[in-house]
Amino acid sequence: MSEGMNRRRFLSVLGVTGGGAAALGACGVGSEPAQKLIPYLIQPEDQVPGTATLFATTCRECPAGCGLHAKTREGRVIKLEGNRESPINHGRLCARGQAALEGVYNPDRVTTPLARTAQGTLEPISWDNALQRLGDHVKEARGKGIAFVTGHEAGVFGELVDEWTRGVGGRHVAYEPFAFEALREGNRLAFGIPAVPWYGIAGASYILSFGADFLDTWLSPVEYQRAFSRAHSFDASRGEAEAMAKFVFVGPRMSLTGMNADEWIPAAPGTEGLLALAMAEVIVRERLGASVDVGPVRDLLGRHTPDAVAGAVGIDAEAIARLAREFAKAGRGIALAGGIPAHYPNGAEIVAAVNILNYVVGAVGKTVQFGPNSSVDMASSFKEMVDLVADMQAGKVALLLVQGANPGHSLSSFMQAWSKVGFKVCFATMLDETASAADLVLPDLHPLEQWNDARPRAGVFALQQPVMQRVWPDARQAGDVLLALAGKSDTFKDYLQSHWRAAHARAGHAKSFDDVWNEALQHGGVYTDAGSQSVRLAPTAGHIMAGAPAAPAFDGNTGDPVLVAFPSAALYDGRGADKPWLQELPDPVSKIAWHAWVEVHPETAHKWGVVDGDYVLLTSPFGAVRAPVSVTPGIRPDVVAVPTGQGHTALGRYAKGRSFNAFDLLSGAANGYGGRTFAVRVAVTRTRDHRFLASSAGDPRDVGPGEEIIRVLPLARAQQLKPGDHPFLQREAPEYAEPALEGWAEEQRKKANLGDYAGPHPRWAMAIDLSSCTGCSACVTACYAENNIATVGEDLFVRHRQMSWMRIERYWRGGEGGEPVRGVVTPMLCQHCEQAPCEPVCPVYAAYHTPDGLNAQVYNRCVGTRYCANNCAYKVRYFNWYNFAEVGGEHEAWPAPLDWQLNPDVTVREKGVMEKCTFCVQRIRGAQHKARLENRVVHDGDITPACAQSCPSEAIVFGDLHNETSRVAQLAADPRGYHVLQELNTKSGITYLARVVHGEEA
Amino acid sequence: MTDWSRRAAAGIAFVLLLAIPAAAQTGQPAAAVKAPVVSDTGSLGGPRQPIFFRHDIHAGEYKIPCQYCHFSVAIASEPGIPSVQTCFGCHLMVGGSTPAHEAEIQKVRDAWSNETPPAWVRVHTLPAFVHFPHMRHIKALGANACTTCHGNVREMPQVRQVSTLTMGWCVSCHVQKQVTRDCSVCHY
Amino acid sequence: MTMTPTTAPERTTSRVTYDVVTRTIARTLGNPGRGYYLLLGTAVGLFAFGVICLLYLLRYGLGMAGYSMPTYWAIYITCFVFWVGIAHSGTLISAILFLFRSGWRTAVYRVAEIMTVFAVMTAGLFPLIHIGRQWFFYWLVPYPNERGLWPNFKSPLVWDEFAIGTYFTVSTCFLIMGLIPDIAAVRDVATGWRRKLYTLTAIGWRGTNEQWRHYRPAYLYLAALATPLVLSVHSVVSWDFAMAQVPAWHETLFAPYFVAGAIYSGCAMVITLLVPLRKLFRLEQLVTVHHFENLAKLCLLTGMIVCYAYSIENFVAWYGGPTPERQAFWYRAFGRFWWGGWTMNICNAFLPWLLWFKRVRTNITALFVIAFFVNLGMWMERFVIIAVHLAGEPFAPFVRAGYNATWADWGIMAGSFGWFFMWFLLFVKNFPSVSVAEVKEELPPPRRAAGKHA
Repeated sequence: MSEGMNRRRFLSVLGVTGGGAAALGACGVGSEPAQKLIPYLIQPEDQVPGTATLFATTCRECPAGCGLHAKTREGRVIKLEGNRESPINHGRLCARGQAALEGVYNPDRVTTPLARTAQGTLEPISWDNALQRLGDHVKEARGKGIAFVTGHEAGVFGELVDEWTRGVGGRHVAYEPFAFEALREGNRLAFGIPAVPWYGIAGASYILSFGADFLDTWLSPVEYQRAFSRAHSFDASRGEAEAMAKFVFVGPRMSLTGMNADEWIPAAPGTEGLLALAMAEVIVRERLGASVDVGPVRDLLGRHTPDAVAGAVGIDAEAIARLAREFAKAGRGIALAGGIPAHYPNGAEIVAAVNILNYVVGAVGKTVQFGPNSSVDMASSFKEMVDLVADMQAGKVALLLVQGANPGHSLSSFMQAWSKVGFKVCFATMLDETASAADLVLPDLHPLEQWNDARPRAGVFALQQPVMQRVWPDARQAGDVLLALAGKSDTFKDYLQSHWRAAHARAGHAKSFDDVWNEALQHGGVYTDAGSQSVRLAPTAGHIMAGAPAAPAFDGNTGDPVLVAFPSAALYDGRGADKPWLQELPDPVSKIAWHAWVEVHPETAHKWGVVDGDYVLLTSPFGAVRAPVSVTPGIRPDVVAVPTGQGHTALGRYAKGRSFNAFDLLSGAANGYGGRTFAVRVAVTRTRDHRFLASSAGDPRDVGPGEEIIRVLPLARAQQLKPGDHPFLQREAPEYAEPALEGWAEEQRKKANLGDYAGPHPRWAMAIDLSSCTGCSACVTACYAENNIATVGEDLFVRHRQMSWMRIERYWRGGEGGEPVRGVVTPMLCQHCEQAPCEPVCPVYAAYHTPDGLNAQVYNRCVGTRYCANNCAYKVRYFNWYNFAEVGGEHEAWPAPLDWQLNPDVTVREKGVMEKCTFCVQRIRGAQHKARLENRVVHDGDITPACAQSCPSEAIVFGDLHNETSRVAQLAADPRGYHVLQELNTKSGITYLARVVHGEEA
Repeated sequence: MTDWSRRAAAGIAFVLLLAIPAAAQTGQPAAAVKAPVVSDTGSLGGPRQPIFFRHDIHAGEYKIPCQYCHFSVAIASEPGIPSVQTCFGCHLMVGGSTPAHEAEIQKVRDAWSNETPPAWVRVHTLPAFVHFPHMRHIKALGANACTTCHGNVREMPQVRQVSTLTMGWCVSCHVQKQVTRDCSVCHY
Repeated sequence: MTMTPTTAPERTTSRVTYDVVTRTIARTLGNPGRGYYLLLGTAVGLFAFGVICLLYLLRYGLGMAGYSMPTYWAIYITCFVFWVGIAHSGTLISAILFLFRSGWRTAVYRVAEIMTVFAVMTAGLFPLIHIGRQWFFYWLVPYPNERGLWPNFKSPLVWDEFAIGTYFTVSTCFLIMGLIPDIAAVRDVATGWRRKLYTLTAIGWRGTNEQWRHYRPAYLYLAALATPLVLSVHSVVSWDFAMAQVPAWHETLFAPYFVAGAIYSGCAMVITLLVPLRKLFRLEQLVTVHHFENLAKLCLLTGMIVCYAYSIENFVAWYGGPTPERQAFWYRAFGRFWWGGWTMNICNAFLPWLLWFKRVRTNITALFVIAFFVNLGMWMERFVIIAVHLAGEPFAPFVRAGYNATWADWGIMAGSFGWFFMWFLLFVKNFPSVSVAEVKEELPPPRRAAGKHA
């Protein structure tokens, strides 16, 4: 924010005094409405002005394939929500899914075909010219090697690419930086089936995750989070034993998933498999498990007794045995292997070992089912990619086409071989690292503008349709281009339909194809159940983990700390980095936004003499990066961790040049099972540099454990609670004062019962169940999307000027004196207090109480004294320090066409006004209008604020507190219920339900 | 959009129009209005529009109900600006009686055939921080309540703003009618 | 607070006659030297810089200043309270001591009074500067409008604007009232355009018995009217904080605590201004060590009250306070802004103890130094109460954060000093900075005084 005093700016400043004065006087809030009215030529029958239209489609931000409802207004998509009918996400959506909107409206999209000139720059050319060139190169490249690299494609487009590459004698590589080779290979070793099964987490009573981050990024996070909350959130009605599943997380680093575990086992990196085998051994030896034939693995287990592995794993044998017994006794247990451990050199063996554990305990066929297999295994293995790179190096590739993948960012060897390729073509929406180095760039359509389909898992056929007119008319779908190249006249939509028609014929449906197709369009796809197949242990299972139990060898000098590179929960492998919402979304664990960091254990940090924000130089055998330290207790002292996703050298204004690229530290060679290794030993050197971390959390010294904010109950106590108990309800005033206080409040109510306030009114309120909330932060992005919240950028974020109405607070507890580390999270938003401290201090009634119990904030009345924010004990009011809507301004939040995503029902706030959570008042008013037109009252459930709508674990419930039958009213009476800072007598409208944990700690 | 299908669409709209007069009779003032001949458009209030569309002829003389063109006023917050198709639906047949009228109607037909909708100059504007749900007011005041705020458009050769549309003006009516004056009903 | 040595006049001005008084004072109005213009130039320069910073603020928004959640108030409000505080001793010395008939005030009250008026003028600007949409400041003023919208009279900010408004009006009237006879006096010795100016501003004062007969009671009543303001205004200002629930703000002690602090800082400021003024204008004869000693005594008294207030708020936090209260005071002492807390403790609570010694009270240099540090300390006190306790707000630990002021903060603060001293310098060169008439009252009337200028 340093102020260069350049002349124009200086004059523009002085301008304020002169003509500016009038302009200032006229400043309203938000942008002025259009002064010209341009009617449609023909009114689209599915568009009613001022009313939203929903289109069902499929999310393509990760391979999970969640169903979407795209909310469009006047023909523009303004919000993405989950499709309730989708069997994957059941109407819920993660932050990355929400942010797809900023992909389609990204200001740096490729808008026209570009070709490399003699000077080496990319210049616009016409489509005819582009197709001409492409056609020629395809002709001459025939036989000389043609390769097509796409992202994970489990749909008709993938088939088209296969068909096309076959036609021209090329090959198709579906490249995913985080592919799941280990799962496939592990399952082959264990059961002889190279597939990724379906995991029934929802029905599990004991969840054991060997590094599988199924809440952050693993396989299908939204599906699993919903399932997880069903199994793991406390529900007394399920009875004593079933009230709440236990969740144990094994892994070197406490990820978002690990943070939600009841017990964290920081096993030595690479020994997770040993632990699994030892547990299996105990179960078999003590006959705790199912009566299954363990013949193939008997010797294997014999070699891996708890005592044998304890040393390598770093956990005493007793603990291992205890875990094994708990796991077996729980009945419906499930063990998951994935995440970082599945990317170790011995990842496949770890997976196999965990499968054996599942098998001996009898989980396979119950909570782990083969049949409805995930489609992630349709991605090529890393080995295939490495082979391609080798061929490129060797000049065996004359023509390379890339679509929907960005190996230029995640695989440096790919870019080294790049120049050896005769002609490089990219179908791209953004000029990413790969596209910006290509010879020919063809503007592709964003998935929200495309026809396509996806098969997240066997039996689920998700359809993908354009939800709006293309933003850039000159862009064309890769599928259409390929068909044109192949000399076919029909479009990709026809191609897609023909495939569905064929499938329809095969299925021999009763309904006509058009009916099926139209229904599929309405419902977002066709959802069937694939039967499950029974599996037995394969002989190969016995041959894993040959040799003495020991941790695997990682590249790099022994003695150096092991670095693990984990997929960022917001940016994933980097594909999210061009979206300001995701950049500004604090990491669920570190709470850092806009840049990458390296996680270091406090002891280690002390040893190295580094503190938060100190830069260290990380040197691996494959590369070196400079990274700012983030000290966190959630990691092994001998391990450091870095997120992927940042460090782009291209990909538009929001991604380019941000901190470092974690992939630079990793080996470009495939490991034993054809996967990529995401762990390596690094030498760590201190540097002199320092930066302020862009963290939404305050200084750790000040933050503390947050006992006043987040209440935690041990399971035992939670189960003793009877309806009517209120362990957290503390008296707000001494007994003798109560009557006086109540009397006073009553008088106030009488006095206030005038005009609009007379008569019965609803009392909008919310209940948040902390035993369900995982801290995934989907609600945060949903709030940004719904309420036109400005993203402020790194500089202002460092100054704690982010506008996030909904923030996820994360406190660390324990850690000292051997007690377990625990991260607890809570959503913090405006509490809509009945006796709100913010209201009486506002000199102009901009903050005031509505008859229906909201703390309203009238933007256009606010003069910005900020007194309300000082007096708010929850600190949930946010101030517009700049005009974030100013076109071309230094802090412009929505450069065109990003402004198309703005919600027309919500005022865009102007500089100098206070803003905060409104409980999505626009949705409340909308529901009231609807009810009035239908001559009825608003029912419970008519109104769902954006945060509650998106929450994958269904932790947030909204409704009318005055209506005893409403869900929120019932939850508000729950024994676990409490109000934050109750002692201030604010009578807040949000009831938090205490978090429940296994074990003693509270 | 092929020319053929556009004509077809227009035809349908025309058929609809035949049904209008019947509908038009209901709830309309009995006294037949005869739209005056306007010789001097300069003397008219309100902004000059790209096409001299005469509400007094359409809504007044021919008693076309407001909602025939402003189709979403009763169901949505926005009243809805008629698409060129709506205009052309009638003016495919109706060509105008006087040279002046023919000239204007020709513009409509050109707009249709060139696929260039006219850019109407906005007459009634509210600041972006005010949310005015038209349907609630129609619901409360009836289908002919338009005049309450927009004046008797039926007699306006060229539409002009008759009410101030300031907050004070809104509030005064809400006070009279004893309906809510809660800020967050309009401001959010 | 009767602390008025009645035997003062004899001691102080024995060798001074009516004539000397008039001449001495008229001399201060002589043509200014280079030094004066240098000072004035600096002041105006600072002011101009402040204005430019303000323009940036208006154009780009408050982000230019160093605010960061949760520190929503900082330097500007600090300056506001600081300047209001400065304003206070003025009225105390001129009005209350007048009612107490303490003779020693006569030589110093004019300086105190102009300080008051200009300080309020400065303070009044800050609330307008610090709000987010400065161009809508008038929404805080109640005025009838068709929307039926009124300010929220429950909000202490609205009380504030009334308190400050009243205070400014009354103290200005009071100043002008006192000026009239003096202007008349210097009018009679002045020449050229100044004479014209004084003739005009003296509004026909001739010092006749008739005029004096009306003048005295009027002045008395004004004094009586001004007196309660001394207590009320800063009490109201303190309620900006005491009415909020921020720990370390929400204290019943605040009103007296702030008033004492205000007078304390005010007296210190009078000393700080009077010492150089005395040298510059060679007023040693009129403004004597004795006057400074009395000011020092006033400082001592109020300083002790402040000292008591500090200790009691810490004690209460420890003894009775709920956890957040304790955390807040712990944060003040040992948090990341420990330096602020200790500066205010040392300068305001410990330093005044020196004033118990007569040798210190009567040593102008020592007084000047102490007064300077008291000013610093009092500014820091407001900074600690406002910025530091917001930054360390214990209710919401998750967002507790640091605070770094920017050039916009310092620029506008410097501008406020420029603005204040600009007016001050302009005044002392053009109007009597010591009350002619009242000093004369303390003198034995001249023997052969036949119709010489009164």
